[in-house]
Amino acid sequence: MQEFKSLKDIPEQDYFTGGSSACAGCGPSLGLKLALKVLGPETIIINSAGCMTLLPLYPNTPLKASWIHNAIENAASTAAGARHGLDVLGNGDMNVVVYAGDGATYDIGFASLSAAAAKNERIIYICYNNQSYGNTGFQWSTATPYGSETKTTPRGKENPTGNTAVNKDMLKIMGAHRVYAATASLAYPVDFLNKLGRAKERDGFSYIELLGACTAGWNYDPRLTIKISKLAVRCGMWPLYEIEHGMLNLNKDFSELKPVDEFLKMQGRYRALPPDGVERLQALINEHWAELKEYNKQRYV
Amino acid sequence: MREEEIPYKGIEGIPVIREPGSAAKVNRGSWRLVRPVHNIEKCTKCKICYIYCPDAAIDWTPDGPDINLTSCKGCMICAEECPTGAMTEEKEGA
Repeated sequence: MQEFKSLKDIPEQDYFTGGSSACAGCGPSLGLKLALKVLGPETIIINSAGCMTLLPLYPNTPLKASWIHNAIENAASTAAGARHGLDVLGNGDMNVVVYAGDGATYDIGFASLSAAAAKNERIIYICYNNQSYGNTGFQWSTATPYGSETKTTPRGKENPTGNTAVNKDMLKIMGAHRVYAATASLAYPVDFLNKLGRAKERDGFSYIELLGACTAGWNYDPRLTIKISKLAVRCGMWPLYEIEHGMLNLNKDFSELKPVDEFLKMQGRYRALPPDGVERLQALINEHWAELKEYNKQRYV
Repeated sequence: MREEEIPYKGIEGIPVIREPGSAAKVNRGSWRLVRPVHNIEKCTKCKICYIYCPDAAIDWTPDGPDINLTSCKGCMICAEECPTGAMTEEKEGA
């Protein structure tokens, strides 16, 4: 596939329409709209229970591609089954894509994801990461970053930090499965769609993780979805990199990161995070960024 | 045999959505508090508003963006991201 160079190269054909029940300014919904531009109508999307499950609700669907509703545990197994079925029927050209949230990827559906990746099934797994169980009301998941307030990690007198756990390094885990693993951001659609194009051409498992800014959970004005996604990359909260055959490639390299404070102060979930919490979060980010810089173009996992 | 007891009836009676993209007819306009207004004179046709619309409510035409107010939920990402200020906002019902 030809690589896109700028926004103007992105195809004008949409396989996603409005009228869905997603929130105004929904990040994951935008991610699916962009992904379908590259994937096209010859796609089966397999979805774990989550926010995006509410897109095709009988009698209406915003999609011009097929969709399978799935339990939260086994989207990757369903995808592997669909892939084998299509191959037997001679429809090898169809794309099989999983679109699942971070709860279904990091926690509940991890077993089936790991098995599908280990067997190197020819599917694309897109995780829209809103760093929580967003659909049920923003509870803690293992993708929730340090210092974020969630329904199950509230801030209080005894625990002013909110979430005291550090989020899982999922890219490293998926990279260690010897598959293609990459992060993507809504604010860099050209980078996201090029990664998706690369994944589509690959004869094997691809894992793409998209930071899906969540206006209701992260508690910000819907108009800031892209600004916040961009700041997440600039502050090092969400570095853009890819791992293939264990080799690391940093896609967006900055000589200096912006202070994480700029990213935090735009969102209600970090409101009242004490200064020592901000310091600790900054230290965690710096550590991760230094690691990425050190291993860039080298063996990472 | 089980197959004789419960005959297979195909997809009759099962809720099947037969029209792809049928949600485009659903009116989400009532969700809006503000609505985007496009000013063609300031527009440089950079496509940013079209790419970043989460509800595909902006269609791209040779003359620039065409806003579909049935689908627009009024998130105003288009106005926030517009580099030239061609996309502005207007209060709904004013």
